[in-house]
Amino acid sequence: MDDGLVLERVRQGDQTAMAEIFDRYGRAVYSVALRILKDAGHAEDVMQEIFFQVWRNSDSFVQGRGSLGAWLVVVARNRSIDLLRRRKPTDSVDDVVLAAKCNLASEAEHNALIEKVQQVMKDLPAEQQKSMELAFFEGLSHSEIAEKTGDPLGTVKTRIRLALITLRKAFQP
Amino acid sequence: MTGNEHNTQEELASYAMQSLPIEETASIRAHLQTCATCRAELAQVSGDLALLGLAVEQQPLPPGARERFLKRIASGVESTAKPAEVIPMPVKSSLRGPSFWIGWGTAAAMTIVAVSLGVQNRALNDELHDESSLVTNLAAQASRAQQVLEVLTAPGAQRVTLTEGKAPAQPTARATYLPERGGLILLATNLKPLPAGKAYELWVIPASGKAPVPAGLFHPDSAGTATLVLPPLPAGIAAKAFGVTIEKASGAASPTLPIVLSGAVAGS
Repeated sequence: MDDGLVLERVRQGDQTAMAEIFDRYGRAVYSVALRILKDAGHAEDVMQEIFFQVWRNSDSFVQGRGSLGAWLVVVARNRSIDLLRRRKPTDSVDDVVLAAKCNLASEAEHNALIEKVQQVMKDLPAEQQKSMELAFFEGLSHSEIAEKTGDPLGTVKTRIRLALITLRKAFQP
Repeated sequence: MTGNEHNTQEELASYAMQSLPIEETASIRAHLQTCATCRAELAQVSGDLALLGLAVEQQPLPPGARERFLKRIASGVESTAKPAEVIPMPVKSSLRGPSFWIGWGTAAAMTIVAVSLGVQNRALNDELHDESSLVTNLAAQASRAQQVLEVLTAPGAQRVTLTEGKAPAQPTARATYLPERGGLILLATNLKPLPAGKAYELWVIPASGKAPVPAGLFHPDSAGTATLVLPPLPAGIAAKAFGVTIEKASGAASPTLPIVLSGAVAGS
């Protein structure tokens, strides 16, 4: 069943439908939180909070904000970075809007996507990979990356820009 | 970025990854409120970044995580999260080497420095105390605000529309709007169920006579209640009225008649 229809049932207070959403995306949300926090307990806390927010306020995700799975993963990434950097949450979940790149409702599609993104990342020059990793999974700013790697700030910016361009091109229809 | 120039892709990527200083974030956020082009590009960049998150190697959930979640939604418990442990961020040491302090000649200077540091320390302690009080007050205010929001939006909250006599309750919505911030809260009750694939959409009708501005989609629960809390709206739109229409689930660019609920701002 389509995510939109399951969410409609969640809005009616259907706990089985919420369990369905959890089953579809729990691992993806947990995995990204674990990758960033490197602590199973904290990663589960982040995951539980995000899904609970969806339960309490399912209207925070609406059609047009991208795919539900991608949206949940971005929110998980942002919450984990907040926790890692000991910041107060810097956005409300409603703030995240993303262009739909794919439908992740089926496991097969998700697996195919994982494979494709991993291949694109693997094909990037090592420096671009490193800069993207530090920015996305460690939440470092361009200046912090430059300081950490010893590379000029302009070079770091260029690497991240090129990596994003490559990623976008790979998924253009 | 300055003034009304568009944000660069780099700026938007940093904004999406929340790695910009507060001032720059605020500047981009303000620009985004009025620039559809940059909002669309931000959505693209966020979509690109989401791919990185989605491609993370999938890990099995901790044992019992699913059950804990189901139990939590069944009981409506607000939070099971443990207080976040402090994870130290690497901090560059600014202390000088011990050789700096060697020598009798510096002893007197050290005494002065020590006294001065003592005074500074006390001042910092006072400052810290003030900051702590401020944080405590802010935390209390935030907690209060959170409680208000939760009572307003909780699916389990009982909502009763009081009417004169025994008249049956009619579909009603109450919008609370702060134009200068673009802040809006809508609480609707007794709404009729929607056909499949449809959503209610709220519209701000600008006092300037310009086209209605879409202010968010919402769906009623089984009791006909719906809330819309702080939808993304540009700041500064003076409203003369609000309207609600039924649209397709993804929303519409302009309202489709009929307007099922409407209300004028007092004094408009």
